[in-house]
Amino acid sequence: MPSTDPLYAGLGQAVRIGTELLAALIVGGGLGWAADTYLFASGPWGLVVGLILGAAAGVRSAYRAAQRWSKP
Amino acid sequence: MENPLHPFELHNYVQLSLFGIDISLNKAVLLMWLIIAMVAGLLIAAGSSRRLVPTKLQSVAELLVDFIRGMILDTMGKDGLKFFPFIATLFLFILFSNLLGLIPGSYTVTSQIIVTAVFAITVYAMSLVVGFVRHGVKFFGILVPPGTPAWLLPLMMPIELISQLARPISLAVRLFANMTAGHVILGVLFGLAIAGGALIGWLPFAFTIAMNALEVGIAFIQAYIFTVLTCVYLGDAISLHGHGDAHAHS
Repeated sequence: MPSTDPLYAGLGQAVRIGTELLAALIVGGGLGWAADTYLFASGPWGLVVGLILGAAAGVRSAYRAAQRWSKP
Repeated sequence: MENPLHPFELHNYVQLSLFGIDISLNKAVLLMWLIIAMVAGLLIAAGSSRRLVPTKLQSVAELLVDFIRGMILDTMGKDGLKFFPFIATLFLFILFSNLLGLIPGSYTVTSQIIVTAVFAITVYAMSLVVGFVRHGVKFFGILVPPGTPAWLLPLMMPIELISQLARPISLAVRLFANMTAGHVILGVLFGLAIAGGALIGWLPFAFTIAMNALEVGIAFIQAYIFTVLTCVYLGDAISLHGHGDAHAHS
């Protein structure tokens, strides 16, 4: 079974990171945009703050994913 | 040249509706039934002869069970073995649907985002239910990483909330995007091979063979990742902040 192969397991962990970053950015930006449009009518600021928080959350998830690699 | 996105369109074979809900039969539905029948049939056949010296099919099934068991023990610890049936089902279904789609002329169920989204939302909702049942209100503590100073809390809680909400989306999009992209590339290469004719068409055709080999690897990897992340999320819900995550800083 190839997924027990160390190469494939490593590849599997590597391709995780990209979507982890992207999904957090989409959620953060989406929440900010929704707050702008439906809640406060607060111009672009909700989107700006949401994108920044989303980027931080993405880095945080990627960091957390990478933390598991050091375990034997 | 044929539109490479054409194979992803679904057409109803039989129009059915139940109380106003559209339950028409199409390629994806029939293929899902086929996958369920195949997985169930293979495992029942493998499990029926419980010999001490296993038959070929039985030893493949034993390898598989060992593999999934090891995955659960690594990410969730002993408590996670309760979820073994769910996780094994999820892994086998995704693996078979990824692999069956690689047969030319077949169809990949996991290249429909609705299928992967339903899986991801189910897994995430399950982890929330498990977390709230086990920890009650304390489960909100998952929004506070261990060792956060109090003055950082207003910043960290929205960040953690976003990274929690991103989990089902990244789970669904990753599987869907990998499967769809692979099949679009194969479709484009086949189109080029036909358009190129005998003179130059062999080159893209050779690439389709190489791509198909790569896609087999990706089918395994994506099924594995989806299942491992399911284990990780459920493990986070069982023991707040994950299995051994709190000790990672030392």
